[in-house]
Formats: sequence, C-alpha cells, structure tokens
Amino acid sequence: MRALPLVLATLRRLAGSLGLLVGASFIIYMMVRMAPGDVIDAISPMGTPPEMKAQLAAEFGLDRDPVTGYFAWLSRSAVGDFGESLAFSPGESVMAVAVPAFKRTLMLCALTLLAGLALGLGLAVLMGEPGPRQQIFTGPAYVLTAAPSFVVAVLFAQGMNWFIHLFVADGSYEPPIWYPIPIYADSLMPYVFAGFSMLAGDGLFMDWFNTLRAELLSLKQSQFIIAVRAKGARTFGHIVKNLWVPVISSFAARLPLVLGSVVIVEYIFTLDGAGYVLLEASRLRDFPMVVGLSVLFTATVIAVSLAADLVRALVDPREVSRGG
Amino acid sequence: MTALLSVRDLIIEFDTAQGRRRVVDGISFHVDEGEVLGILGESGSGKTVSTLAVLGLVEGNPGIMGGQVELNAGETHVSLLEGLEGVIKRPAGKPPRKNTRRWQRMVHRRMRPLWGGLMTAVFQNPRHSLDPLMTIGKQVEESVGLAEPTLDRAQRRARAVEWLDRVLMSDPERVFRSYAHELSGGMCQRAMIAVALARAPRLLVADEPTTGLDTTVRAEIIGLFEDLLADRRRSMLYISHDIQEVLHLSDRVIVMRHGKIVEEATADAIKRGVGERHPYTASLLAAAELGEHG
Amino acid sequence: MGGRGTSFALWLSGAVVGIVLLIGIIAPFVGYDPVSDVDYDAQLLGPSWSHLFGTDAQGRDVAIRLLKGTEAFFLPGLLAAAIAVVGGALAGAVAGYLEGFGRTVVLGLLQLIDTLPRLVFIILVCTILNPSITLISGVAGVLFIPAIATVIRRKVEALASEDYILAHVAHGFSPARILIYHILWLQCRPVLIRQATFVFGYVLFVETALSYLGDYGVQEPAPSWGNMVAQTRDLAGQAPWPWLFPAIAIVLTISAFLSFGNLLARRDEEAIR
Repeated sequence: MRALPLVLATLRRLAGSLGLLVGASFIIYMMVRMAPGDVIDAISPMGTPPEMKAQLAAEFGLDRDPVTGYFAWLSRSAVGDFGESLAFSPGESVMAVAVPAFKRTLMLCALTLLAGLALGLGLAVLMGEPGPRQQIFTGPAYVLTAAPSFVVAVLFAQGMNWFIHLFVADGSYEPPIWYPIPIYADSLMPYVFAGFSMLAGDGLFMDWFNTLRAELLSLKQSQFIIAVRAKGARTFGHIVKNLWVPVISSFAARLPLVLGSVVIVEYIFTLDGAGYVLLEASRLRDFPMVVGLSVLFTATVIAVSLAADLVRALVDPREVSRGG
Repeated sequence: MTALLSVRDLIIEFDTAQGRRRVVDGISFHVDEGEVLGILGESGSGKTVSTLAVLGLVEGNPGIMGGQVELNAGETHVSLLEGLEGVIKRPAGKPPRKNTRRWQRMVHRRMRPLWGGLMTAVFQNPRHSLDPLMTIGKQVEESVGLAEPTLDRAQRRARAVEWLDRVLMSDPERVFRSYAHELSGGMCQRAMIAVALARAPRLLVADEPTTGLDTTVRAEIIGLFEDLLADRRRSMLYISHDIQEVLHLSDRVIVMRHGKIVEEATADAIKRGVGERHPYTASLLAAAELGEHG
Repeated sequence: MGGRGTSFALWLSGAVVGIVLLIGIIAPFVGYDPVSDVDYDAQLLGPSWSHLFGTDAQGRDVAIRLLKGTEAFFLPGLLAAAIAVVGGALAGAVAGYLEGFGRTVVLGLLQLIDTLPRLVFIILVCTILNPSITLISGVAGVLFIPAIATVIRRKVEALASEDYILAHVAHGFSPARILIYHILWLQCRPVLIRQATFVFGYVLFVETALSYLGDYGVQEPAPSWGNMVAQTRDLAGQAPWPWLFPAIAIVLTISAFLSFGNLLARRDEEAIR
C-alpha cells in the first residue's frame, strides 16, 4: 500500500527523536557541570565517603573535560545506568527505583488525560456552539481553573478534610483510610483526587475543552461534511474519522503539561510516583537520582510525541507526504 | 407537472456590523424535471445563499425571514417553511442564536428524506468538498451504496469505478485508491461530480463548480456536465457568475442582482437576442463579449 | 460575539491586573519585619478592622504578608516575561530570515529547549545551583523562548512574501525597521501580549510552588503566597485565613493575568483584521 513512505517517515522521525534526546541530555549534563565550586563536592551530599565520591566522579565523567565527560556519561546512561542512589534509597540503582515509580506516574497521567478527553468530548458534543447562556457557566469555570494544579490540590484536600470531618466528628462514621489528606494510604482515592486536581488546574481541562469544541464545530461546518449531508449520507462516521487527528495532537500536547503538574500533586497526596521521588531526591541532594529522573522525564515526553506522530501518520494520509 | 423545487417570495436577512441587511428580497423561481436552470449573478447578488438556504445546506441560521419553499420527489413532498413562522421571524437586532438550534433541527427533520434522493450538491473548491481521510473510491462507493442498497460489495466497487470512468478519469483504478490531496483541482471536481451523481439524484445543485479552476479545466468540466445531462433524466441548478457557462448549459436563466431577480428568460432567447433584455443582463453580455475578443 | 460580556471581563481582569501591579510596585517600599510581627497573643484571629485578613499561627498579620508576598514573584515575573518575549521575538525573526544550515541550527536549538519538561528542568537547576528566584525566573523565561519563537517565525515567513512588505523593502525601509515595527509591533503584538502574561503567570506558579514545597523558594519567615499556603500542613481543620487568602490571591491573580492577556490579544487581533 503506502508502506514505503510510511516506513521512511517513521525512521526519519525516530532518528529525529533520538537526536532530541541526545541534545536534551547534553543540556542536562551541562547543567550538572555548571555546579558552583568543585563539581564533585557540590553534587555529593555531606558526609559522602571518598570512595563514593570517586565512583560518582567516574559516573559523571567529572575527571575529564565537559565534552568527553559528557560522552562518558552518555555511554553509561544510554544503556540505563544512571548510577546508584546516594540518599533517597542508598545503594539501589537509580533505574531500579525510577522505573516502578515512573510506571505509577504514567498510569496516573494517562488515566487523567483519558478522563479529561472523554469528559471534554462529551461536553463538546452536548454543548454545541458557544452561546451567551453557556457563558454563565464557562466564564467562572474559566477563572477558577486558571489556578495552578497544586493550589487546586491544596484547596481540594482541605475541602475534602473539612467535609469528611463533618461526618466523623461525632463518631457516627468511620473515616476513610486516606483521611486526613495527606496521609499515605493504600487506596485508589488519592489517585483520583490527584487526577482531578491536575485536570482542573492550570486550565488544562477548560483549554482542552475549548480546543475540542472548536475542532468539532469547525468540522461540522466544513464543506465536505455539508456535501456528505447533501447526498443523504450519515455525517457521524466522517466526523469521527476526522476528529482523530486533532484528538491525538491535543492529547500529546497536554502530556508535558500533566508531567509538570504531576510532580507537585504527587507530593501533596503522598503518591509514590516519579514526581514525588524527584522532589524527595532533590531535597536530599541525591544527584544521580535527580539527573536520572530528569532524563527519563524528557525521554517520556519525546517518546509520547513520537508515538503521536506515528499514530497520526497512520490515520492521516496527508501526514506521510508532509514529511519531517 | 409539479416542479422539483419551487421557491416563492423568499426573503433572507443577515445581521451585519452595520445592522440588518436584506440579502434576498422576495425572489421566486422553480426547477422542473429534466431542465437545467441557470442562476446568474455577481458575488453579493444573493444567488448562493438563496439556493443553499432553501436546501438546508447552510450551517447556522441562514436568516430566512419569509416565503415558501416546496420540494417534490415522486411521492415525497416537503413544504420547508410551513409552520415555521415562530422560528424564522425574529425581532430586529436580537441575535439569532436561540433560533438557530430549533431551525437546524426542523430543517434536518424535513430535509433528511430529500437529501440525496432528491438532490445532491457540487461546490466550488472541490478539494474541500471531499473527505480528506477517505479514498475517492470509498466516497463514490458511499453514494452508490445509498442509491442502490441491494448491491453487494463487489458490485458496489464496480459501479464506483464505472462512475469514475464516466467522469473522464484517465486511470479510474488509480483514482479509486487516491486521496483528495493527491489529485489536481480538476480531477477533484470530476471526483466530486462522480460522488454526487452516483447517488442518483433527480436534481444536481452546482454552486460555482468551476471557480478556482484553470481555464482549460473549466471548459472540460462544462463539457462533462453537458455530457452527463444530455439524456435529460436529471435536472440541474447551475449557479455561476460566468454568463457564458450559464448560457451554454442552461435551458432557462434567471439573473440576480442585489437580492432581486431582474430577468428571467430562456437561454435560447438570450443567446439569439430575442426580446427586450434588462439593462443589467445586457451589460453582462457586453462584458462577456469584450472578454472574448479582448 | 459576546461584546458586552467580553468588555466586562476585560475591565474586570484589567482591574485585578492593575491592582496587582500597583501592589507589586509599592510593596518594596512598605517596611515589614516578619520577626517583630510575631505576636502569640493574636494567633489565628479572624478578619477584623485591625487585621484585614486575620492573623496566622504566629500572630502575624496576613494582609501585610500578602502585600509583601508579591515581591517574590513580581519583578522576577516581569523579568521572565521580558526574556521570553525579547528572546522569542529575536529567535523567531532570525529563524524566519535565515536559510539553510543556520536556520537548521537555530530551529534545532529551539526545539531542544522546547523538549525539556519545564518544571522538571527547573527542579534540576534548583538542585544543582540552589538559585535565587530571579535566576529561576530567568531560566523559566528562556524555557518559553521556543514557543514564542515559533509563532513569530511563522508570522515572519508568512508576511515576508506579502505585497505590502515587499513594497516597503522596495521603498528602501531597513529590514530592522520593517521587522520591528510592521511585523512585530503591528502584526504580532496580540500574540506577544498573550505570551507575556502567560509567562508572568507561570513564574507566579513556579515561585509559589517552590515556596510551598519549602526547599527552594522563599524561606520563612519572609512571606510568599506559596509558603503561606503551605501552612495548611500545620493548620488542618483550624482557622483557614492564613492559607485561604493566599490561595485565593494566587487563583485570582493568575486567572486575571491570563484572561487580560487573552482578551486584549483577541481584541487586537480583530482590530488587525
């Protein structure tokens, strides 16, 4: 069919993504080298024994000049060796800690985005064209959702605590195991709260909803849809098919935002995901952990973008010919 | 013989920044079976909005303020604006948004049995009239499937290729597998015509189908229309600002200017100079002739 | 269109923006010593005439801390916005004019910066350099350069072949003047306004977030809206004023800036058309 151009385009994008990853990791590495004073002292926590310092220096290529040091570090990182955690989980390899945490974080982000997509599309279909009567709701909603996700999370947590308190104060109800927030609990509810905070905050949902609605409306009014209707065919199939591309694009565009807000939100709801680990490791000056996680976060963003490009190319025949 | 489409005293008004403007001022026309009606007018004459609005093909609220529209397709008879006074009459200055949804629902309900069966449409900008994510072949098949639901897959495909061949595609099989963005403007328009006619409508509405195409391609499309309508089994409503095209294809012509019909005559009469011509028509004729030689 | 509704929103958000700007300008001149403000006899008082927004757990006046808290993000926010807009406009214009290898280099660099997840990178920088809020804002500003540059570049490329621009070139106007005045000021102003307010809002977010988390932002006892909100950790269930008012302030300020930028930009865009 159109296999060859598709394969070529895929390889091209793959190469581009790898280049981006290498370049981004270069910037991250250079940041480390910019530490004030003697780099090795700056990046090892107080009281690190000399052998550990030497090992750290080797891992980060600090015994050489920046450029060769970078390649030394890169050759280890490219195979997933980011060294050992110094303070967060001493002795454990960074990857061993990071990967499970990342899985949790990615699950949270993906589910949050999917929920947002479902709700956004559903509302877009129901609400149709923007109108003055709708603005009574969308206006204030717009204001409230401009709040950063961590503010939403804090307000929500406090509100939740206050609400539960009303029921448990006189002892007639048992409090849930995650009360009062934040308490680490083996429950799904804090994840739900976190997802809600991320969607509601930073205008993520409202913005996405507006975009989806605009796309849907513009599609409904496009000439080819009118032509389909004029010949007596159902427009539904055509609309759904043409919605895939904007849906995928907007989904992929929002993941970096969510990865940003997930960091603080995980901290507020004490979820042990990659964001929480990053913050804790940063607080403990655990450099291998922080650097490793930074690279992994970046790699995730790049991977998602690549995946979105590929899916788009599969769905939209114009993408392939458009090239790079 | 009842007309396929009959419009009487149609009034359409738009709300612009300068206030409410009447863009169609009480026009009446009809299209009979087997005839080609040409609507000639320059941009802003109201020719496009009057035809598309009465066929329910305008998104939003087309601003119809009064008139009657009757559509007939065999046993199906629809009086589009009957009983819609509450919806279509709106006080000046008030945004029509509230009425738009009611209007859209009513139009869709009434027009649905007619779309496709009575009429299909061909627009200008052919590349935008085709679904960009679907092969041409599938879109023609979609029309065939609706016109002849008893065909099986293989027969449908064969019929679709037939139609692509009929509209003078040099390589119908290749076009069948192609997408809109891979075809030239002229080929897109031919494909669109195939999609429209494969639906077997009684009336084909063509709104400036040659605008934006190269001159040679334009002539080919006109020739194609002529060829497809030769057997007089279909009617066509041909809207254009090009007097030569209109005169070439139509049986009857109405000339619109500033929302009013200033002339209605047979194309024959106009071409042979029989009878008095409205000064506007005369000026259009003169300009066209100047174009020919100059 | 929503004409009346829109101008009401414009005035409202503009008013809030104006108030915040005013507070931000006068805050540095208001004397405040957080240590001496401590008054354990006046803990957690509700709003009153002597304490407009109440007092916190150490008896400090919330209203004054709100006022002084703007210092943490006001100038840094302006700095970041300036860096992002100027850098972005420059990068976009250069990328739009260049061709071949130079263009590839500039575009590649921009894409690199754009790929870095912003908050994660900021945390990395904080871990390594333990920087001031000003430096963090500078980094944030740089992180926004690619987004602005892309928009500017597209505009420049689109306009470069427009007839009236070519006419200006033919008449001998210098490319710099055409670029700065005609393209950037006349055509790109709306998008630059929108982006500038967005960056300012982002700095507010970053500063308050870092101060909330505690390690890198403004440290106690100096006030920041962020570390004031952090008091929820110690005050669960008790009086909400110490953290509720700062939280509301954050929400109102960010949404006012974003709305104002958006509405202003939209109005400009319509005027251009």
